[in-house]
Amino acid sequence: MNYFKRTSWQVQLLLLPCVLLIGALVVYPAIYSIYLSLTNASLVGAAATNPRFVGMRNYMRLFADGGFWNSLVVTFWFVLGSAVIGQFVLGLVSAVLLRRPLRFKNLFNSIILLPNAVPEVVAGYLWISMLAGGEHSTLNRLLGCLGIPSVRWLEQFPLAMIIVANTWRGIASAMILMMAGLSSVPPEIYEAARIDGASPRQIFRSITLPLIMPNIFLYMLVSTVTTISIFGFIYALTRGGPGNATEIIGIYIYNQSFTAFQLGYGSAVAVVTLAISMAIGLVYVRVLRVKV
Amino acid sequence: MSKSKHALPTIFGRDAVAYATLSLISLFCVIPFVWLFLASFDGNASLFLRWPSSWTLNNYIGIFVREGGARWFFNSFVVVGTATIIVLVFSGFGGYALSRTNAWWKRPFLYGIVLVRVVPPPALIVPLYKILLTGNDAVGSFVRSFLNPDWVRPVMLVFGLIDGYFGLILVFAAMQLPLALWIMKTYFDTIPHDYEEAALVDGATLFQRIRHVIAPLALPGLGAAGIFAFISAWGDFLMPLILLSSSELQMLPLGLFRAFLRVQQIDYGFLSALAILYMLPAVIAFGFARRYFVQTFSGGVKA
Repeated sequence: MNYFKRTSWQVQLLLLPCVLLIGALVVYPAIYSIYLSLTNASLVGAAATNPRFVGMRNYMRLFADGGFWNSLVVTFWFVLGSAVIGQFVLGLVSAVLLRRPLRFKNLFNSIILLPNAVPEVVAGYLWISMLAGGEHSTLNRLLGCLGIPSVRWLEQFPLAMIIVANTWRGIASAMILMMAGLSSVPPEIYEAARIDGASPRQIFRSITLPLIMPNIFLYMLVSTVTTISIFGFIYALTRGGPGNATEIIGIYIYNQSFTAFQLGYGSAVAVVTLAISMAIGLVYVRVLRVKV
Repeated sequence: MSKSKHALPTIFGRDAVAYATLSLISLFCVIPFVWLFLASFDGNASLFLRWPSSWTLNNYIGIFVREGGARWFFNSFVVVGTATIIVLVFSGFGGYALSRTNAWWKRPFLYGIVLVRVVPPPALIVPLYKILLTGNDAVGSFVRSFLNPDWVRPVMLVFGLIDGYFGLILVFAAMQLPLALWIMKTYFDTIPHDYEEAALVDGATLFQRIRHVIAPLALPGLGAAGIFAFISAWGDFLMPLILLSSSELQMLPLGLFRAFLRVQQIDYGFLSALAILYMLPAVIAFGFARRYFVQTFSGGVKA
């Protein structure tokens, strides 16, 4: 392939625009946030024009700040409840069932994909109506049919509700990845297992599940990272409230930086978040074993 | 369909369970949309689900008559459309380079792209804001140096990095580029080198080869990359929230959000119609994107 060698500098040059743009607006900001987190930068006042270097003070404050720990705990449950459990279980069930030759298969498929396609703010708007208090709201009326008294969902069970709402939004991505995994299992294996007299449950547990494990692991990594980055959907739905019951880490960063105007402190939270995501990202890199 | 035979001799009972489960999951997925759909045609819509007493199209017409609606659409299309075009051009060239080069930095670079993709956007808002603010001051003083003061504001609304189209376009493009680059790289990997070599033998320069040989071959890949960039930027709420403030620049996500925050007098019919029109392009694009979805996760492992 010597012709590529001859023109290789020209080819490499084609990558430059991407490198510049990603470098300037993603990589540089990520590094710059480490510097900002060591200053008292602010949106208003003297510190806005002349931020001072304050060393580790923001981090000291951070680790003593109940609001920060609260947002980490809320984010943890949010990720665990919606991405790791809710979306995964419902997505896997849908994927397994949709492999059967059912009628309305495409209809089911499209309906499950729909929540994934809507913009964040529309999703938030939909769930405001779903979960509204009073006996006329959609959820209360549905449960009313079963004799369950009406509840002010977003006030009484805020964390559980954002988990339910985000599960709703993400079933599709789990389903699509699980379908890809299932279709890569060679049918002869099922054939052989059936001849050996295995029950469907045994087949699922000892053949299907182990064989789609790589897909499951990949899904867990990706969905954890993307769920940590959620902002708009939950902000539109609850704005972190009531109190700070649904203040996931993205909302906490926004509130500290742009509502309380403490850019330095907000950056310290951002750096911690970045570190968590990067740690998961490194595992992701290892798993992908990028083909060059 | 020999695969489906493992559903065993289909006893009615087994499929009934499947239908029931899928119906429940689908019901969960579709219920929130029922209210949105009905409310958008209801002359007197409220926050609660109900059958419209009078069906009307006024809510939809209102979007283009009343202040706001049409303007928000225009802004969203301009910003997201331009960002998508930038992503297509840059990722097309970049993905090609990444696929064809054998330079020493190729593997570290690909790992770097994966890491860039996991950066949570909320963690970038503060430094991005600071960086763009500095850039904006520079653009501002440059514009002021030769323009009549009356023209400075309109020009800054277009070229400003904070509270201007240009800044948001660049940010959207930068955020969507890593995934697009990834898609294009894996796509070009599937195109054999023979065509380019043939063109080379015929004496074509690099840019002739790109224009006449590679670009036409790249179209399906570009389609996928562009659709994902569009969907993601179209639905994004965080970046417009941080970077825009002028009402002239208001985009759909913020317009919708601010409108339903007003405590008194929320016009649910209008908002629902707006929300439906806002989600429509994303839903249509998602329909096309569905089959490329798996590749976005696994890249190297071709799906």
